[in-house]
Amino acid sequence: MSRIDNDNQLVDFVRAARESRAPFEIVAGGTRRGVGRPVGDLPMLDVSGLCGIIKYEPEELIVTARPSTPLAEINAVLAEKNQRLGFDPADWSRLLGSNGVATLAGVASCDASGSGKLRHGGARDSLLGFHAVNGLGETFRAGSKVVKNVTGFDLPKLVCGAHGTLAVLTELTFRVYPRPSHLVVLCLSDVTPETGFAALRKIAHSPLEPAGLAYLPASMMAEVGQGAALIKLEGASRPLEEKVALAHGLLGSVMQRIDGDPFASIGCGDRFADIAGDIWRIFLAPSDAPRVAKEIAATHWLGDWAGGVLWIAAPPSDAARIRAIAAAAQGQAMLLRASAESRAALGLFAPQPPALAALNKAVKAAFDPLSLFNPNRL
Amino acid sequence: MLLPPTDSKIVARRAEIVAALRAIVPDGVVADQSGLATFDADALSAYHQMPLVCVLPSNREQVSEILKYAQAEGIPIVPRGAGTSLSGGALPREDGILIGMGRMKRILEIDYENGCVTVEPGVTNLNITKAVEAQGFYYAPDPSSQIACTIGGNVGENSGGLHCLKYGLTTNNLLGVTFVLPSGEIVTLGGKCGAQGGLDLLGLVTGSEGLLGMVVEVVVKILRKAPVTRTLLASFDSVPAAGACVAAIIADGVVPAAMEFMDRRAAEAIEDFNQPGYPKGAEGILIIDADGVEADVTHAVSRVIDIVAHCGGRTVEATDEKQRARIWSGRKAAFAAMGRLAPDMICMDGTIPRHALPQVLEEMAQLSDHYGLGCCNVFHAGDGNLHPLILFDVMKDGDFEKAEAFGADILRLCVKVGGVLSGEHGIGIEKRDLMTDQFGPNDLEQQHRVKCAFDSGGLFNPGKVFPTLSACVEQGHIHVHGAQLPHPHLPRY
Repeated sequence: MSRIDNDNQLVDFVRAARESRAPFEIVAGGTRRGVGRPVGDLPMLDVSGLCGIIKYEPEELIVTARPSTPLAEINAVLAEKNQRLGFDPADWSRLLGSNGVATLAGVASCDASGSGKLRHGGARDSLLGFHAVNGLGETFRAGSKVVKNVTGFDLPKLVCGAHGTLAVLTELTFRVYPRPSHLVVLCLSDVTPETGFAALRKIAHSPLEPAGLAYLPASMMAEVGQGAALIKLEGASRPLEEKVALAHGLLGSVMQRIDGDPFASIGCGDRFADIAGDIWRIFLAPSDAPRVAKEIAATHWLGDWAGGVLWIAAPPSDAARIRAIAAAAQGQAMLLRASAESRAALGLFAPQPPALAALNKAVKAAFDPLSLFNPNRL
Repeated sequence: MLLPPTDSKIVARRAEIVAALRAIVPDGVVADQSGLATFDADALSAYHQMPLVCVLPSNREQVSEILKYAQAEGIPIVPRGAGTSLSGGALPREDGILIGMGRMKRILEIDYENGCVTVEPGVTNLNITKAVEAQGFYYAPDPSSQIACTIGGNVGENSGGLHCLKYGLTTNNLLGVTFVLPSGEIVTLGGKCGAQGGLDLLGLVTGSEGLLGMVVEVVVKILRKAPVTRTLLASFDSVPAAGACVAAIIADGVVPAAMEFMDRRAAEAIEDFNQPGYPKGAEGILIIDADGVEADVTHAVSRVIDIVAHCGGRTVEATDEKQRARIWSGRKAAFAAMGRLAPDMICMDGTIPRHALPQVLEEMAQLSDHYGLGCCNVFHAGDGNLHPLILFDVMKDGDFEKAEAFGADILRLCVKVGGVLSGEHGIGIEKRDLMTDQFGPNDLEQQHRVKCAFDSGGLFNPGKVFPTLSACVEQGHIHVHGAQLPHPHLPRY
């Protein structure tokens, strides 16, 4: 394990790795090392020293921080000004059995977006700009520190979800959003997946601007009959009450209120932390969610983003079947938690069509031609 | 403005190229000079160039065949939607094939269950909204040219509009595209599921200004129209007071659907033009829209009224839909109104951190004196997107050059205060040579390598966006324009 504490050391390290053609694994908090194909027995580069908030400008709706800044630190600092990251950054550490510290760069690299993606988009929609070192050992920057920018290629989108395969990040600028003062979670109980997801889509396509829309079957939530559709609404106190009334009117029923925020353990997968088996996230056109869930027929599962993502726990023997069902629905099945052997065999996503796979490879090579960074992970 | 030199060998092969394109698109090749004249410029109308030939495909297979042919023959390609680019993104080349996507304008599927619409690239932005508005939906990004501009062009430019702060740019409202690579291969990036199973190439091609390939199908999100929209007009005695008010509104947690700033000169020109009722004598005016469900809007409006008063401003609220329309009619006629102040004008586009507005306006006034040209400002204050309008007279010797230099200085000023060269118009040819003011050599080289991953031959929209992109290897030699390459150490391959 090597450790770097500043950009210059990082550049030296990457240049030396390039000279000796020695690939390595990039690690900050280490909570997401179990995501994607194992990189093999490679040296690790510890970047946790690149840490701390550089500048937080609440009135510009932006925060700039070093990549290994703990997510908890960012969340706390933003909360002081009644702001937050809009995509509900997902800390997968409990799910993945890690006792490390989730960081900003980990969230960005995995595009780890929680329930809030529904309203404000994913991490990729909030990352405005970054600084990094590419596989040539050169520092570069892309994007900007303003919320509206079309200058040059939108490389921030690319590093989001690249799982650290393009560059080593050294600075990130995120857009932030106001944090409403109040929230209410409504529960439509004892509904089938078909009825529950239909209710969620109705709210999704209403002007209520919901902050979370999830369906949980009885196996995932006690005392909800067959299952529950959960609706999270936010706002200032008085308007929120009127929005609750509108939601009741839209669905034609009075729903019970739930204490606390169940979405806090939905978007990050905590509800699957103690459940055995592989954990999948399947991205779908929302209206396909009930049909796909039924076809997979897992005991433990739930749907977030009004059906746009299904979380599924399944035995390893189900892998091929799950990928096939997702593909038939024109969805994407992401293998989030599994044994190293399964992850090596199955990859994070199903193989892409040849032309698209070749394009991905060419873009990767445009950043990291020698494949030094987290090789094979994506 | 220099473009990469014309390849006379290609121009000499014109008849053969026209014939080859006719074999692919029998009913869609424009080769006569009067027909081509229609396509010789986009909305950056100071620049004109007749294309070698224009081809109007009507399906993706034809697009693919055209690109395969161009690739095999080494002929440059310029993609074009409706030609409304303000930065010259669709300016043709004398040695290039202009591909117009206007015939591919079918709406393929409207999926209310999933809140999305699948369209061909030639569908206009506004026609997407028109197709779904009866059901209470709309497509959120609303560039000012929305009546004419196409969704394919919107993807190419990552178009914005008045409502970006709350609803995002094109990139935030896209689920997928079908894309033809320069090789002619067709790839699908994203889709209704919103995921790609690899790198976010959808995010990359959005806003790539026609440098990476051609969009042949687009899946966009549609949103439920807000039931209530209220409009406030706030006036201030000083620009810093207006700026402070914008910051205070944002800090309070209000996200207006739109928040527009006009300086005194702009507001007075507009008032003279169509009398929207803007207060005389105010140094800064804000138009603020709040939308959503009634309860949220009521809350936001009362917060804004308090904040404006606290910042020393005065608020008037539109009492009915007619007055609301009247207030907005002024802002929407801003360019036309300014057009009466001088024979010619150019509209600039940069983004600045909101807090820098007073400083930027002050320095812009100094530049205005320096160049002896008038300037007024409209500003998407919510997201910091500034549109200075520079007034000049093209008949006056040297005025146009002065206006361009003034514009470049304004954009450099945007970068100096921490902003960017373009918030929504794109770089095109207009701002290409300023890219080195915002980006360093490593930054541009990294983007350049990404370009080459798609288009190793450098055939797609050469001469646009990157000052050095024409240096992509083209038939074994490197084009150099001007005295020297700005980045002599760029890798060449």
